[in-house]
Amino acid sequence: MMEPIDIGLWTSGGLLVMVLLGMRVAFAAGMAGFVGLVWLRWNGFDYDPARFGKALEVSVRIAGLTPHSKVSAQVLSLIPVFILIGYMAYYARLTTALFEAAKRWIAWVPGGLAVSTVFATAGFAAVSGASVATAAVFARIAIPEMLKIGYNKQFAAGVVAAGGTLASLIPPSAILVIYAIIVEQDVGKLLLAGFIPGAFSAVVYAVLIIGIAVVFKTVGPPVKGFTWGQRFAALPPALPIVAVVVIIIFFVYNPFGEAWGTPTEGGAIGAFIVFLMALYRGMRWSELKSALLDTAKLTVMIFTIIWGVLIYVRFLGFAELPAAFADWITSLTLSPMLILVCILLAYAVLGMFMDAIGMLLLTLPVVYPAVMALNGGETVAAADSAFGMSGTMCAIWFGILVVKMAEFCLITPPIGLNCFVVAGVRDDLSVQDVFRGVMPFFIADAVTIALLVAFPGIVLYLPSLVG
Amino acid sequence: ATEWNVSVWGKRRAFTEHIEKIAELVSEKTGGEFTMNVSYGGLSKNRENLDGISIGAFEMAQFCAGYHPDKNRLITVLELPFLGVENLDQEVAVSHAIYGHPAVQEEMAQWNAKLLMTSPMPQYNIVGTGEPRDELAEFEGMRVRATGGLGEAFTAVGAVPTSVTATEAYQAMESGVVDTVAFAQHAHLSFGTINQADWWTANLNPGTVNCPVVVNIDAYESLSDEERAALDGSVDEAITHYLANYGELLKKWDAILDEKGVTKVVISDEELAAFRTQAADPIRDAWIAEIEAQGLPGQELFDLLTTTLAQAKGTN
Amino acid sequence: MAGSAAVLEDSSLLSRLDRALLPIERFCALLSGLAIFSLMFLAAYSVVGRKFFGSPLLGYVDYIEAAMPIIAIMGVSYVQRDGTHIRMDMLVGALHGRVLWLFELISVLLILVLIVALAWGAWEHFDRSFDCSRPLCSRDSSIDIGLPTWPSKLVVPVAFGVLVLRLIVQAVGYGRALILGLDNPVAVPLTLTVAEQAQAEASQLAGHE
Ligand code: NA
Ligand code: NA
Repeated sequence: MMEPIDIGLWTSGGLLVMVLLGMRVAFAAGMAGFVGLVWLRWNGFDYDPARFGKALEVSVRIAGLTPHSKVSAQVLSLIPVFILIGYMAYYARLTTALFEAAKRWIAWVPGGLAVSTVFATAGFAAVSGASVATAAVFARIAIPEMLKIGYNKQFAAGVVAAGGTLASLIPPSAILVIYAIIVEQDVGKLLLAGFIPGAFSAVVYAVLIIGIAVVFKTVGPPVKGFTWGQRFAALPPALPIVAVVVIIIFFVYNPFGEAWGTPTEGGAIGAFIVFLMALYRGMRWSELKSALLDTAKLTVMIFTIIWGVLIYVRFLGFAELPAAFADWITSLTLSPMLILVCILLAYAVLGMFMDAIGMLLLTLPVVYPAVMALNGGETVAAADSAFGMSGTMCAIWFGILVVKMAEFCLITPPIGLNCFVVAGVRDDLSVQDVFRGVMPFFIADAVTIALLVAFPGIVLYLPSLVG
Repeated sequence: ATEWNVSVWGKRRAFTEHIEKIAELVSEKTGGEFTMNVSYGGLSKNRENLDGISIGAFEMAQFCAGYHPDKNRLITVLELPFLGVENLDQEVAVSHAIYGHPAVQEEMAQWNAKLLMTSPMPQYNIVGTGEPRDELAEFEGMRVRATGGLGEAFTAVGAVPTSVTATEAYQAMESGVVDTVAFAQHAHLSFGTINQADWWTANLNPGTVNCPVVVNIDAYESLSDEERAALDGSVDEAITHYLANYGELLKKWDAILDEKGVTKVVISDEELAAFRTQAADPIRDAWIAEIEAQGLPGQELFDLLTTTLAQAKGTN
Repeated sequence: MAGSAAVLEDSSLLSRLDRALLPIERFCALLSGLAIFSLMFLAAYSVVGRKFFGSPLLGYVDYIEAAMPIIAIMGVSYVQRDGTHIRMDMLVGALHGRVLWLFELISVLLILVLIVALAWGAWEHFDRSFDCSRPLCSRDSSIDIGLPTWPSKLVVPVAFGVLVLRLIVQAVGYGRALILGLDNPVAVPLTLTVAEQAQAEASQLAGHE
């Protein structure tokens, strides 16, 4: 007989090998979980050949009920709704409207068009749950305009690739919902927590661009000369975005009184408004059908990883691996802050090679309990904790840090996907060009992450308002 | 050595104390030969616990009848509104009497499950925001978080049961999705609904939910005689421990209401009687008819319940 | 990474099977999309009903939970067809020829074993909730309005059944490529470099503005 924990470790090693060899992450996780369940049970039967059938049968049943059991949850319905909003937003032509409004209102600062691009991507983030789509769309709209007035093309590409990463922090965000579900925390609080760090990241990008534009006069001249009339004329087409932002905020937290409902309802109403806008802008059945197919495809892709990984998590529950890892982490004599920083660095490295959602789903079941234990447990009070915050707040803070880390990895070599997408859209740009242009934004992101770690209040202010 | 996996959910709380206790007792009585590993959500989702028992994923589990009435039609008799159960001792007595009925045992055996003990819960009184609702007329249009038989009872008097999960109840109340929430006291505390409340009904006593602890029959039968005796012999002691623990919590309840500034609403006997005639009788009759129509002893179970309750009231 | 790869076609039996399966898969995915669309209306209806007419939709949560398997699982085979399920392609991206087909074949066969096991387990999960000697054939029902759960449980083995057919087509496709040493086999998603994938994704969005 082996110890369950050893079976847990061996199976996790097998999972790593399957992922490295290029097996689809969802199925590799499901396979690891299924094989682990069989192994664990047969181990319990002392490898009696006559009872292998029984071990297999029970494991098939446990694994086989997991997909249905795990996806049948109301809170998960947020994910498809958030994805749908993003697809509808294309047909509602919200992207062009946003960029035009940002240009007329803020392009007068040094590095004006680049700053406008950052704020337009931040605005689009408020109706888009996915980063890569944002980068692709703005590569087509914003880069030509910047090149027209003499921007360095690498820098212009870098701005768009970096701006695209804001979509997963600013709600709606599919990835924040996924985090909330894995760690069983309040989705509304996590979504709220994303607003300020997302906006904060955008401001840090903007400050960086202005700084660069002031020092290197050749990068990005200001764009002046819009009249107030032109400025106000640019606002109405972008209004649905404001409506969606207000609705999602007010459905989660209404500063003036009772919140209007649940986040799921807020997301659905937001999608409905964008849908009406798209209809008004001429969307018809054929476009709707392809939007629905695209939404379904991305949704199914995400859910397959969710249930695949949850089969593996079910096995880990029987093997008691997360508890053992948490014990090990807390037994280390290093300071908790140092351990946390190491964990974040490990995510930075892992994120260079893996997709963000896959990375979070695979690691969080083990890493999250360890981080919570490090802080003093799920129910610890702020006064007794290692990071000076309650268990719930620590869960939210860590979630935002991890998601920001995953976003950071979208612009890092070798597989920073946003950079590839930008280069893919523009024939005149190579991937190396985009990576070179996005370099300054590494520094911006590193500063942002350091500040979020040092001043958790940036993350926790909004969620702390909600009891 | 025998090691059982036990699947429950949430966090360790008053509602799971008998399980923790029985794990401790069997290990003690068998000198560590028979141990239980209680997992809070790691092995299954609460609504799949009975499936888990059925397929042998784990050996012991807790679930509530209202999660899936069609899986356990007969024990839903214990969730009918206004049965008149006054305290946890009576709740234990009626639950265990129903669990002992052959038809009930047979229905559970279809899931490979043997009913071991109940998790007695006090009456699900409601907390609410705004003006106290102490007259039946004021229940009209009230959005109440209540499930199962309780939900039906509130529907009968014009309220609208609104389904939110227990964990969402606080936010639902804060956001006005519901005006009132029906819970046992420990749940009002652990889900924070008491913090939103302006008032609490002290004597509405509309009913409660029934959450048995079951064991996998194959696992139970493959225990050694000594182990089985240790398990069966620990039930009463575990329940006693649970009741004492819950009693402590109830003692603090009034102090908590004072501290949070929550008004205790007492509803008049006439209003209660009106509620009962509108809600209790039709729902009970419908339940019995529906169960009898499926060839099951609905009337017999209900009579067993009332006679057991009368005896329990006589003895304490 | 959400990019989809190219699947080549010709007049062979395998390719015809591939194309015969595609409409079924696309239909399943469209069902998923329509379920998402209805979800939006359902939530909007529920909020409006509650806010303006004081009558929330009874059983709202039960309906959503019943729809989730259609949303989340129905299109699983459509996504497998063109290789949209994410993976780490550092290694396979560097391989080509027979070595690549060998790795792809092993991977698909492993997935096939897993999905057959899951389809079996998912069928039993459905079967436990299904009993036609009872009203509505229901042996398991939802929490608020007692909706039978078997229809939503049946979605999973059906979707996995389609996926099993797809995996068999892909296994044959890779096996054929391995034996014949093909460069551009039909009926399987061809590995694209990350750059090609991004190009495909970018052009996919091109028509959307
Ligand atoms: Na977003
Ligand atoms: Na990356």
